[in-house]
Amino acid sequence: METFNIILRAIFIDNMIFALFLGMCSFLAVSKKVSTAIGLGAAVIFVLTITVPINWLLQEYVLKEGALSWLGASFANVDLTFLQFIMFIAVIASMVQLVEMIIEKFSPALYGTLGIFLPLIAVNCSILGGSLFMVQRDYNLVDATAYGFGSGVGWFLAIVALAAVREKLKYSNVPDGLKGLGITMLITGLMGIAFKIFIGISI
Amino acid sequence: MQRSNTYIIIFSVVLTIILGGMLSIASVGLKPLQDKQVELDTKKKILGAVTDISTIEDPNELLALYDQRVESIVVDFEGNIVETNAKGEPIVAEKISVQKNYRMKPEDRVYPVYKFKAEDGSIDAYVFPMWGNGLWDWISAYMAIDKDLNTVRGIAFDHKAETPGLGERITTEVIQSRYVGKEIFNDSGELESITMVKGENNTGLSIHEVDGMAGATMTAKGVNAMLDQYLGCYQPYIKKVKSEGNKVALTQ
Amino acid sequence: MSTETIEKTEVKEEVSQPAEAMLSKRRRKILSDPLNEDNPITVQVLGICSALAITIKMEPTIVMSIAVVFVIVFSNLIISLIRNLVPGRVRIIVQLAVIATLVTLVSEILKAYYFDMYKVLGAFVGLIITNCIVMGRLEAFAMANKPYDSILDGLGSGFGYAWIILVVAFFRELFGSGSILNFKLAEIGLDFQTNGLMVDSIGAFMVLGILIWIQRTKTGYVEH
Repeated sequence: METFNIILRAIFIDNMIFALFLGMCSFLAVSKKVSTAIGLGAAVIFVLTITVPINWLLQEYVLKEGALSWLGASFANVDLTFLQFIMFIAVIASMVQLVEMIIEKFSPALYGTLGIFLPLIAVNCSILGGSLFMVQRDYNLVDATAYGFGSGVGWFLAIVALAAVREKLKYSNVPDGLKGLGITMLITGLMGIAFKIFIGISI
Repeated sequence: MQRSNTYIIIFSVVLTIILGGMLSIASVGLKPLQDKQVELDTKKKILGAVTDISTIEDPNELLALYDQRVESIVVDFEGNIVETNAKGEPIVAEKISVQKNYRMKPEDRVYPVYKFKAEDGSIDAYVFPMWGNGLWDWISAYMAIDKDLNTVRGIAFDHKAETPGLGERITTEVIQSRYVGKEIFNDSGELESITMVKGENNTGLSIHEVDGMAGATMTAKGVNAMLDQYLGCYQPYIKKVKSEGNKVALTQ
Repeated sequence: MSTETIEKTEVKEEVSQPAEAMLSKRRRKILSDPLNEDNPITVQVLGICSALAITIKMEPTIVMSIAVVFVIVFSNLIISLIRNLVPGRVRIIVQLAVIATLVTLVSEILKAYYFDMYKVLGAFVGLIITNCIVMGRLEAFAMANKPYDSILDGLGSGFGYAWIILVVAFFRELFGSGSILNFKLAEIGLDFQTNGLMVDSIGAFMVLGILIWIQRTKTGYVEH
């Protein structure tokens, strides 16, 4: 139940886009067409669900203070937290690379839709953000995985919804200075207000 | 730039060593300062719950005051004092992460208790750290109870992400001062805790109630649940100290 | 990272150019372009992620700006210095490693000297790593230019980013908390009802959207 709550919260309340502003760059750049938005969104769900638990294991068994105690008593006081950022980003970058290669080998069709987005994802803030927030919130492995998955779904929802709005926006008469980024910002704000109705939701 | 694999590997290794070395030096060099900051932060909160420390600017003075006036112990769910953990290592109250403990079952946790001593060394107040969930994220409190183990001396809330301007007000003096003088036990000696009521500017509040915050009912609920739970957890210890106090009083 | 909007600013390294002035016209342009006409946030749409979450108040925003400027300038410098050594195939990971190291340094220093701010900024300091401005500048500029020019470019982009988020933070703090740099305006008689939306993430989107509108109307930049 608690796990399910974490997923719900990550999707609707702590939404990566509307509440935390994470992954905005690709969110704004790739939300012009619904089909590409779905591709990128799916890739984000995929990568978040994989990297958050891996980074959890890394944090738990290598990085945090006393985490290396399984190597022997003399390691019990080693604190490698200062390597956290560099390790997380390395895991993310290499996982993305790995996933890309695996998909390319086994499912060329999926690669056709997801493949081009994967390199973009390594520098998507929501991926690193997912891992950093996971650490801050002290989840266990199951909850961390759930959190990664939920965050991904939240991001997916946000980008697909925005892309749908932007497709229609082509036919509207927007003031010159507001075209593109400006109006997208305002729309995102309005969508954020809509997401506010989920406040306090829990099962 | 097409380079051989050997070059790439050597380059990566060298880069890793350089960057890793830089980070280790920085981390080791800054560690003492960071530890002091963390320690100062905890001690500031503990002292802040019982006494006014806003005039103390110098961190060393604050730490000295802490060493002089605060004695810390750790108790378990039955109210017994614990000195070592399961592995036989000594437990230091200040080092306990209330947040981590919060995730365990209440009966498995250990609870730090800070005794604030008066100038003459007698115990003046007890500070109990607490942890809970607010509307958005965690909330925490250091609650100071007078030596009668009933009247609230002061409380210092902290929070991660309560709504600014609404729930966030729990960290303000206005809200925290509402708890001062309230009582946690009723006349027949049962734990009553202190409840923050709904809405603001309520009248006719009992000695176990404080006025609420307009627009922040969910945060208030979290605060109430936190006080309820943790006072319940500390109750065995409180009862024990009380009965010992009575015995001392009787024999004197 | 929005690859569409990054324009490769390739300032050609002219062969044996005799002692270019420290602040020649070209260099002034490197420095000043990102401040306005080629602003990383409002025009290039980069680095918005970590920009908005911490702009509720001005104080953390200032700290964040300094951190970002520091990271941008030094990563630009380092990458520019080793640009001819970096193997093309692993350049992204090399860039990330350099940035991550600098960000860790910033975070460690904050924790040691400015602990309150460290708690406020939390995970967002770490997110500078994936701030697209930093990566974007490394890819588009530092990989192809001399160290000194790269520093100027870093400063320009850093401050271009800083002034936008400071303006956003100013309005959000003013309307959301009724204060400027933690100074409560109510104390000098300016007591008004604060707007809860401004402290919410929504306020950031709105303020930034309007800011972009104003800025683009002035520079005449139109996105198609």
